[in-house]
Amino acid sequence: MKITYPHMGSLNMILKTMFEGIGVEVIDPPPSTNKTLTLGVRNSHEFACLPFKINVGNFIEALDRGADTIIMLGGIGPCRFGYYGQVQREILKDLGYDFKMIIVDPPHGRLIDFLKELASHFPNVDGKTALKSFVFAVKKMIAADKLEKFLLKLRAHEDNPGVTTKIYEEYIKKLEKAQDGKEVDKIVSEAMKKIKENANVRRKIQLKVALVGEIYMLLEPFTNMDISKSLNELGVEVTKTEYLSDYLINSAFKLPQRMEFKKNARGYLERDIGGHGLNTVANTVKYAKLKYDGVIHILPFTCTPEIVAQGIIAKVSRDYNIPVMSLVYDENTGQAGYQTRLEAFVDLLYRKRLDVVV
Amino acid sequence: MSKTVGIPKGLLYYDFYPMWKTFFEGVGAKVVVSQDTNKKILDEGVKNCVEDACLPVKTYVGHVINLKEKNVDYIFIPRIVSVERKKYLCSKFLGLPDFIKSLIGDLPPIIDIEINYYKNNDEFTQKEFIKVGRMFGKTEDQSLKAYFEATHQQKKFESLLKKGLTNLEALKVWEGKNLVKEESNYDLKIAVIAHPYDIMDEYISMGIIEKLKNMGAQVYTMEMLERDLILEGASMLSKEMFWNYERDILGAGLYFLKQKNVDGVIMVSAFGCGPNSMTEELLERIFKREKEVPFMLITIDEHSGEDGIMTRLEAFTDLLRFNKKAVMV
Repeated sequence: MKITYPHMGSLNMILKTMFEGIGVEVIDPPPSTNKTLTLGVRNSHEFACLPFKINVGNFIEALDRGADTIIMLGGIGPCRFGYYGQVQREILKDLGYDFKMIIVDPPHGRLIDFLKELASHFPNVDGKTALKSFVFAVKKMIAADKLEKFLLKLRAHEDNPGVTTKIYEEYIKKLEKAQDGKEVDKIVSEAMKKIKENANVRRKIQLKVALVGEIYMLLEPFTNMDISKSLNELGVEVTKTEYLSDYLINSAFKLPQRMEFKKNARGYLERDIGGHGLNTVANTVKYAKLKYDGVIHILPFTCTPEIVAQGIIAKVSRDYNIPVMSLVYDENTGQAGYQTRLEAFVDLLYRKRLDVVV
Repeated sequence: MSKTVGIPKGLLYYDFYPMWKTFFEGVGAKVVVSQDTNKKILDEGVKNCVEDACLPVKTYVGHVINLKEKNVDYIFIPRIVSVERKKYLCSKFLGLPDFIKSLIGDLPPIIDIEINYYKNNDEFTQKEFIKVGRMFGKTEDQSLKAYFEATHQQKKFESLLKKGLTNLEALKVWEGKNLVKEESNYDLKIAVIAHPYDIMDEYISMGIIEKLKNMGAQVYTMEMLERDLILEGASMLSKEMFWNYERDILGAGLYFLKQKNVDGVIMVSAFGCGPNSMTEELLERIFKREKEVPFMLITIDEHSGEDGIMTRLEAFTDLLRFNKKAVMV
């Protein structure tokens, strides 16, 4: 059995660690590129969202490399993601691939159910080994996310442009190869130290922007054209609001996060509407209250929950007097166009602060 | 004077109007419906809505604005989470009242009760309707009485659908109006599979159903099928859809494909419709594999031209007739 899975932020590192830990061969899909996207677009419905199309591209590339089993998440709605696996299977079948697709329907909030479900597909693996490799994988994920959070803040202050990104990429690779917990800790602290040494630029007006929106778009730098990097290079500190590790930690220790979302969104959106619509609204309110300079909302074209959220956060923007910009991504999005919009947005935030100072 | 409640003529109006109207009249309110969709309503909707929202939502926004201009006392925008056990509706319905309130300022009070049968008990929704009754000074018993009468009328309306009327025709009959008598020399049978809010609004769908009828096709919609037939179709899939209307679309499509009791199937959806991107993809692939029943997709948006639709419908009906002749020879 040669397993593959779709790319999603640090997820591939985690899954690789986990499956190799239980002795299953893994074929990583090649990093998402324009070719991946083209393959996905060519074989998907025009109104399927960007994540769907990239998934399809990832699968095709991984199957071409010899993978024969695909792991995909399922769901029970109302986000259409829950049906992606079913549709993708038909697409790949029509393309003539011979493969097995394992669609794991996620738990309703409880991590342990998810693991049980996943484990049922691997009857020969001993539970203890599986649990051990899972715990280690989660440790890596938390480490990677911690490093990224640090990066998004400090890169805005870097002395030599580009150096921080290089350091980060180098250490993420090291992290992927790390064999035990001690090594992981060492890599993270070393990387943080190095990044810090290269971050000494201080500004009179330091802008802070929160990135909210659909989780896949936030987690995959390829799909959002590395928007955090673009913002950092414009001297803006970035706070990304969705990390996989946050979900894992929160679903393992009950659900305080959900309650927090509901509380923050109260008055604007009164219930979960599927996908990450509620999170988007809640996070926009949260960072508006924290006096951030602006919020950037990123979503894939035709994502219904985020479209609803988009309408609602426009009101949050008016009520809290915080600039909010929604960026919609699809396969036709051009980097230059969005770079211009980001620059204009940052200019606007800067001027808004100047007005206050004067 | 009794209070007026505005019901926007969009989205699930075409499915639940009899129930809503009966209930509000039962608690002593006067029901006002927005006008039929026209250019002004659509333009207002497009102007005030988020650019990427789907056409029916933009139209709905226009209808709410139309009601606001009519100075109604309340507007009914329910939060419809689920109308069937373990099935959801599309995300937009779950956040609809919040969305509309954010988009349009200075609205009259919105009645945004939650309609939710996800756990399959009527009680939750009954309580929500009792809340509405209280707004009109009715006791629990009075509201419940109105609610049961409302569900009774809804069943009456649904039985009209099963007799082969489209939602629009059934609404007319339910309101006691006469239908225009149709000549029945149809030589084609075509199933039009779509959300009622896409094809029942004659303005945004550009009268697809009327056009097909004029071309000599008898039209079947998924609402005309009995529930077990839809479930029979849906059971051909390995995992049942978690949205009930999308399940119906898939189920109806697969049922027609299996029974071959229509000459062709047309699926109509709105530009950028998220759920339909899944159902279309599946149906189109399955129809292509089987190669038994011709299948056509039509996407509508605010820029669709009537001529374009006309040409496609004509081409499709020509093809179906050609098929029929080929079989006869």
